[in-house]
Amino acid sequence: MADYQAPLRDMRFLLNEVFDAPALWASLPALSEVVDPDTADAILEEAGKIANGVLAPLNREGDEEGSHWDNGTVTAPHGFKEAYQTVAEGGWNGLGGNPEFGGMGMPKMLVAQFEEMMQGANMAFGLAPMLTAGACLALSAHGSQELKEKYLPNMYAGTWAGAMDLTEPHAGTDLGIIRTKAEPNADGSYAITGTKIFITWGEHDMAENIIHLVLAKLPDAPAGPKGISLFLVPKVLVNGDGSLGERNSLSCGSIEKKMGIKASATCVMNFDGATGWLVGEPNKGLAAMFTMMNYERLGVGIQGIGAAEASYQNARAYAMDRLQSRAPTGAQQKDKAADPIIVHPDVRRMLLTQKAFVEGGRAFSTYVASYLDLAKFAEGERQERAEAMVALLTPVAKAFLTDRGLECCILGQQVFGGHGFIREWGQEQLVRDTRITQIYEGTNGIQALDLMGRKIVANKGRYYELFAQEIVDFIEANAGNEKLKPYLEPLAAALERLSDVTEYILDAAARDPNEIGAASVDYLDLFGLTAVAFMWARMVAVAGEKVDADTSGFYSSKLKTAQFFFGRLLPRTVSLAESIRSGSDLMMTMTAEEF
Amino acid sequence: MPEYKAPLRDIKFVMTELLNSEQHYASLPGAEDSTPDMVEAIIQEGAKFCEQVLSPLNQSGDREGCTWSEEGVTTPTGFKEAYKQYVEGGWPSMTSPVDFGGQGLPESIGLVMSEMVGSANWAWGMYPGLSHGAVNTVIAHGSDEQRQAYLPKLVSGEWTGTMCLTEPHCGSDLGILRSRAEPNADGSYSITGTKIFISAGEHDMAENIVHIVLARLPDAPQGTKGISLFIVPKFLTDGNGNVGEKNAVTCGSIEHKMGIHGNSTCVMNFDGAKGWLIGPENKGLNCMFTFMNIARLGTAIQGLGAAELSFQGSLAYARERLAMRSLSGIKNPDGPADPIIVHPDVRRMLLTQKAFAEGARAMIYFAAQQGDLVHKAEDAETRNEADELLSFLTPIAKAFLTEVGYESANLGMQVFGGHGFISEWGMEQIVRDTRISLMYEGTTGIQALDLLGRKVLMSQGESLKRFTKIVHMFCKENADNEQLKPLIEPLQKINKEWGELTMKIGMASMKNRDEVGAASVDYLMYSGYAVLAYLWARMAKVALDKLAEGTSEEAFYTSKVQTAHFYFQRLLPRTRAHAEMMVAGADSMMDMPAEHFAF
Repeated sequence: MADYQAPLRDMRFLLNEVFDAPALWASLPALSEVVDPDTADAILEEAGKIANGVLAPLNREGDEEGSHWDNGTVTAPHGFKEAYQTVAEGGWNGLGGNPEFGGMGMPKMLVAQFEEMMQGANMAFGLAPMLTAGACLALSAHGSQELKEKYLPNMYAGTWAGAMDLTEPHAGTDLGIIRTKAEPNADGSYAITGTKIFITWGEHDMAENIIHLVLAKLPDAPAGPKGISLFLVPKVLVNGDGSLGERNSLSCGSIEKKMGIKASATCVMNFDGATGWLVGEPNKGLAAMFTMMNYERLGVGIQGIGAAEASYQNARAYAMDRLQSRAPTGAQQKDKAADPIIVHPDVRRMLLTQKAFVEGGRAFSTYVASYLDLAKFAEGERQERAEAMVALLTPVAKAFLTDRGLECCILGQQVFGGHGFIREWGQEQLVRDTRITQIYEGTNGIQALDLMGRKIVANKGRYYELFAQEIVDFIEANAGNEKLKPYLEPLAAALERLSDVTEYILDAAARDPNEIGAASVDYLDLFGLTAVAFMWARMVAVAGEKVDADTSGFYSSKLKTAQFFFGRLLPRTVSLAESIRSGSDLMMTMTAEEF
Repeated sequence: MPEYKAPLRDIKFVMTELLNSEQHYASLPGAEDSTPDMVEAIIQEGAKFCEQVLSPLNQSGDREGCTWSEEGVTTPTGFKEAYKQYVEGGWPSMTSPVDFGGQGLPESIGLVMSEMVGSANWAWGMYPGLSHGAVNTVIAHGSDEQRQAYLPKLVSGEWTGTMCLTEPHCGSDLGILRSRAEPNADGSYSITGTKIFISAGEHDMAENIVHIVLARLPDAPQGTKGISLFIVPKFLTDGNGNVGEKNAVTCGSIEHKMGIHGNSTCVMNFDGAKGWLIGPENKGLNCMFTFMNIARLGTAIQGLGAAELSFQGSLAYARERLAMRSLSGIKNPDGPADPIIVHPDVRRMLLTQKAFAEGARAMIYFAAQQGDLVHKAEDAETRNEADELLSFLTPIAKAFLTEVGYESANLGMQVFGGHGFISEWGMEQIVRDTRISLMYEGTTGIQALDLLGRKVLMSQGESLKRFTKIVHMFCKENADNEQLKPLIEPLQKINKEWGELTMKIGMASMKNRDEVGAASVDYLMYSGYAVLAYLWARMAKVALDKLAEGTSEEAFYTSKVQTAHFYFQRLLPRTRAHAEMMVAGADSMMDMPAEHFAF
């Protein structure tokens, strides 16, 4: 198993060369105060050290050991608590946090890189800071001043961790039917009662308190999603002076045995009249959750890339090392018993697929992050446009990047042959860990419905037009670029295909609402491939200019990977478009019994 | 864990209605006893055993796993007892020749049993499964003495067998293996070396384990032409089926792996173990290839089994789990939400599983009939034709069906949402167990090279033509069938394109040898979709004919027709991308210097 190395060179390429993040930051007052290129660079460097030196070494053992449950107490695997302290002391929990309450206020574009390193090095661990950051976001956006002052500073400092409690045994995708209830107490607090499941890091020993954000129903709340409210429920009650008081009445009933991310505790949480405080307005709990949803969903997409990067690093090292058979064009290493398997075209196909999706995916997540920053910090039309782009692109980032993340991890396992199945090599763990990313934070089927239904059909393609126009503008602006030429044509063709299909669905959905669900997953895939093609074209635009003067091989590698992406991966769009056009009748006419 | 129910109706559909097994067995020399009643009785008995004995051990076997100690390997609770029942039921000897104590049934019937065993509990099924290779090797290449010594107990299942090929440094490339065999004065050999990934290499279910080991004789030529086969029993025998002292072969450890935890994957150490040459010197690999087709079909079954079992689980869940309302109006007004089977995307996943599971069954049974002909047909011409066809279909079945089986298992897990990730439900176990099928018995990449390089291009396209001719005939015969038209037209198109693509790659590979490897996996997947399209069209035809005749099973046949349409319109379009990618050329893969992968 190769030691994980944070891909800093590629991250710098994206931030500084492709997207010119420093210029973007300088244009936004809130960001220009906290970040400049040197600060950003130092942060990347330090993040890399934590990922490589602290988190990655715990990954394999954490999987073997798993979290331990004992009568309500959860102990994280060996070394996790210390690693959590290191991360907390480095201020990483508050990296993107609100500066008013002790956060560092860094842009998402930068935070995204830190997240990728952390998730790539150790996904089970990475979930803890990720959920804490999510809880902070929701609290920061919707909590009262009092709640924010009381909880945020310790959460940003990492002394306290956060957890998100949504799912119940009978309600996952369909939160409208949750049963957990909140009864008002005389002092303005609420008594929360109910059972939540699948609560990641809902209980553990890494921080001195855990702040749960819980969805529950007030008495007489309307049925369905419009009757859900959000509550803050700390594991240990906090006194007026900020010190820890009594234990609240919530407990971890058990932890799940699962396929992967075994080091992280997936908890059943029982609330028995636990004291909680309303966050935001009554019955607006789901809306409040959606604020942080965009960040979380991008974060999950980034988990896919992080794992794929780790798998790629292992597969690449193995392919250079493992000797097996001779190259079809003649022996390459005559003094050895066989050639390294990287000489074989099919092994290269697998490696390049990983590389093209990892680097293209990283570019895409950075690009989406830039819109999150604009949506948060820009003003006027620029802000509104960014908000639309975030809404449109977030489900794509979540689902496409995790689908490709799993695909890449499977390929990375395949490169190892039989050894890929053996735990010691680490490749199968990456597959098992990554599998959950397609499911949680809204399954990828739900993401696709969100994209197709809410983001495309509901606004009659208006958001889509913004995105398409950006690609059209890019193509026009680069029409004279010789090096880009071979890529602009297939990019334009892919965009046209996507636009045609979008129109087809807008039209079909007007007649039959089932058309949306019948097309959605393939559509999201088609969208993702087109978006990543755009990313590769943008990378080529930079690499093409620099390749001649470069002796390192970095830019040449970029150009060749782009060539592979366009020749070998983008053609998938042809199949997807055809499949979508077959319509919904095929799926809907069969009766449930006929299955 | 889904409780496995043998899909007896579909098995019967494929065997008798699609592939006309009655006539097939009636005309097969030595298979006259395989009358429809007999076959049905065997399958029903087998189904009971798989449902009642094996299926309940699937999840517990995964949890408990195998245990290694100095004394040997202990299999999970219940495995040993199940095996005893299996032996007592006479199941191991089904397809072995009557002369050696077998029942002489055609391989195709044995594969139906393998399907049910493998779907119910793959990890368990590998113990008897691995014996087949050993039995076949001894039958085909053993001396009379060796047959006498080993076959009776191997065939009855009292002993099991293994195949010891892989070593730590060599898997796909057996030419570089290092285990050596030194001749002893008594005509036996001393075998020394380390073998890894030996499934069922050591266990507690049988009295003896007979290893078939690849090793090199002193002064053997380098590479694949210097490998010989040896029989190395765990316990030495007296030549008449009685075991004596322990041989110098031990299990050094068992692997900790992603899945099939119920099966022991062993490191086997041979320390001058006593072995006997089987088959000619230095022809070991050729001897192995004798049964490669059947062995690989056996692995293809893992893809089928995974798709089937996972589909059974996800279908039941989709009918019960309530979440959200149907977009076209409430379907379950009395409940808080509708069952998720109302949602188009859930149906997409279920139908994909169904199309692959049922299609895989058709493909494997179709290939298995060719296997019957290879072994039992009277005239050499028929045997030869069948052998060629089977050789063409085998890499497709092995690689394509395990790939889509794995995809189906993942879809089944996805239908369960978060619960799919939780061990208790068993859906994730199917995914973990199935993952290995894409690697062992030759990875997908190796199968693809075998198909495109060795089978298709080496025969100048003849091996493909043999199959496309069959498809062409079918299309011609049904050209006037209006109802079938939406399937026949695309089938015809793809059948033609298949040949054209092959030509293109063939031409390109004459200029650049790397073109074969660059195109191979896309070519294999394309071929898999094409073969499945042919079989789905045929299944649709059978079903349409039944519906036209009038039937009491209207739902069953309608479902077949609908699944066929789903396959053609939602899954077959995947060939568009493969067609484009396989001719995109090798340059974009081969140009990059190895070091540049590091950026």
